[in-house]
Amino acid sequence: MDVITNLAFGFEQALTWSNLLYCAIGCVIGTMIGLLPGLGPLATISLLLPLTYSIPVNGALIMLAGIYYGAQYGDSVSAITMKIPHASSIVACIDGYQMTLKGRTGLALFTAGVSSFIGGTVAIVVLAFLAPLLGQVAFLFGPADYFALMLLGFVCVSLVTTGNLLNGLAMCLLGVLLGQIGTDLESGTLRFTLGLTPLADGVSVVSVALGCFGIAEICRNLDAREERTPFNGKIRLMPSWPEFKRIIPSALRGSVVGSVLGILPGGGPVIAQFAAYAIDKKVSRYRHEIGSGAIEGVAGQAAADEAAARTSFIPLMSIGIPENAVMALMMVAFIIKGIQPGPNMIAKHPDLFWGLVASMWIGNCFLLILNVPLVRFWLSIFKVPYTVLFPSILFFCCVGTYSVNNNLDDVFITAAFGLLGYILMRLSLDPAPLMLGFILGPMLEENFRRAMLLGRGSFRVFVTQPISATLLAFIGVLIAVQIAYAVARRRSGGPQPGHGERDAPEPVAVVETPGVPAASPR
Amino acid sequence: MANQNAVRGVVLSGIALCFGLTALRYPIGSFAHAGAGLFPLLVSSLLLLLGLITLVKSRFEPAKPFDFAWRNIGVILLSLVCFVVAAKFVSIVLGIVLLVAVSSAAATSRSWKRSLAIAVALVVIALAFQKLLGLNLQVI
Repeated sequence: MDVITNLAFGFEQALTWSNLLYCAIGCVIGTMIGLLPGLGPLATISLLLPLTYSIPVNGALIMLAGIYYGAQYGDSVSAITMKIPHASSIVACIDGYQMTLKGRTGLALFTAGVSSFIGGTVAIVVLAFLAPLLGQVAFLFGPADYFALMLLGFVCVSLVTTGNLLNGLAMCLLGVLLGQIGTDLESGTLRFTLGLTPLADGVSVVSVALGCFGIAEICRNLDAREERTPFNGKIRLMPSWPEFKRIIPSALRGSVVGSVLGILPGGGPVIAQFAAYAIDKKVSRYRHEIGSGAIEGVAGQAAADEAAARTSFIPLMSIGIPENAVMALMMVAFIIKGIQPGPNMIAKHPDLFWGLVASMWIGNCFLLILNVPLVRFWLSIFKVPYTVLFPSILFFCCVGTYSVNNNLDDVFITAAFGLLGYILMRLSLDPAPLMLGFILGPMLEENFRRAMLLGRGSFRVFVTQPISATLLAFIGVLIAVQIAYAVARRRSGGPQPGHGERDAPEPVAVVETPGVPAASPR
Repeated sequence: MANQNAVRGVVLSGIALCFGLTALRYPIGSFAHAGAGLFPLLVSSLLLLLGLITLVKSRFEPAKPFDFAWRNIGVILLSLVCFVVAAKFVSIVLGIVLLVAVSSAAATSRSWKRSLAIAVALVVIALAFQKLLGLNLQVI
């Protein structure tokens, strides 16, 4: 069995002391930022990007990945105990918080922890088998196919994260345009630099992420001026045996759903949670209890959440196209380290690929140890008042921006993006697709130009290639369904014409979480 | 109060026009041999289209108020500018103190002692970054 030898090789890589340390650091930081308001995984990963310059490649990637799935987990803890999801654990608010209201917080946290572990484990098996296979498929991709795949990613991300195709696509396009700032690689023309020298190299990802997610988020929290009430309830962690038995089937279902949805373009934790929750509601033996604090309501979505967070690495590592904003940032991390993610990566850097896969499972164990027994400690972190927190976050944003080029002027660029991010937020535009567009923009242009060159200037090149034709047809269907849905809703005088298309992609996404803006996997 | 949906359309179209008109000044080339301006022009025309659709759509939708609180974002941006200027011309320590002091104006409650404590803690963290992680911060 190739996979088993490869995995063993991976564990050999991941089980060195330094890599274990980086994995632990990643999980701890991830959990912390998942719990605290104001910094999502996107902002944190971009903050730490410059700090990873001095760390070896393996360790850096292991740490950044740990931050991502750690944050997913931390977020669900704050969702269960306080009904405050900062990023994506909207579904955990439903049954998880109901369980807290019933005084069964400990059970809910235990369920989330164990299910996440199961979900992560299943996802890693999927990752180990599927990523090399998909890598073979990626060799068939030409420029037109890559172009179509990226477009499909834009459409899917717009639908999933914002629920509004129009706004999401606009954000992707704006991101692509912002990615054009700097020197055109083919002709050397300076584009959109406004005559400013620092812009000749383009805007750094760190500035965009910290501005749109760090600074804009601070202002939103300050505007809201809501006092958060820390959790003070009792926590009894260990479940009884019958309770434990209820976790397993639901968690396994969630793992499969999450693994599959994590791979699809635009997929990721949010949509996986909703889907797993919906399936549990249909097929679980305890379906009548779901919604009022059932174990299944927590287990399925937690497993799907963690599974999707891990399988979303598959498109990045095997095809080389990230499918959501966080993965796009991971791609930047790979490239900074001099590694081009894609079909060649597994063959060229097997230590890196299998080491990362193995580290995910180790991270799983860390999260379980860190979170289930130590949850009280994490909840006490939540008591830090926001007035102390936000100047510190600002400071970290400054340091993070500065350390990219050791240039203080970059902080001005970050500030400008903070303003842009704030304006977009006030216009109900989600910056997550912008981030994806920004990072993919240069690749999109390159593949577009190359495809047009091969097609001798005719757009037919996109429809004569079977792969790109299929992908484009799929995009067409998605958009047509969206428009038809919106029109049908308007005709029937839909219940909320204002956000007509909001829950279109997921009919089950009817979740009452007041105060939670459009979900986005940050 | 402006309508949020309409403002969104205007802002998107405005940005698209800025990028699109600038792109016209670069060599466009042909589809087979694209110049520097072709791709941005295509993308900004698409964005303009989306912006106009948003604008038209907003006429048929109930208005949503567009609330924009200048104060907090202003204070935060000002604190960042103070940080850069102070760090450039005096020292990063003063920059940190100013950053905390100015940004605290946006907090719900104010206290000099607390701001000072945060500033001291951040200076210590900056020093640790410099010594342990090798960041070029020049705290001392």
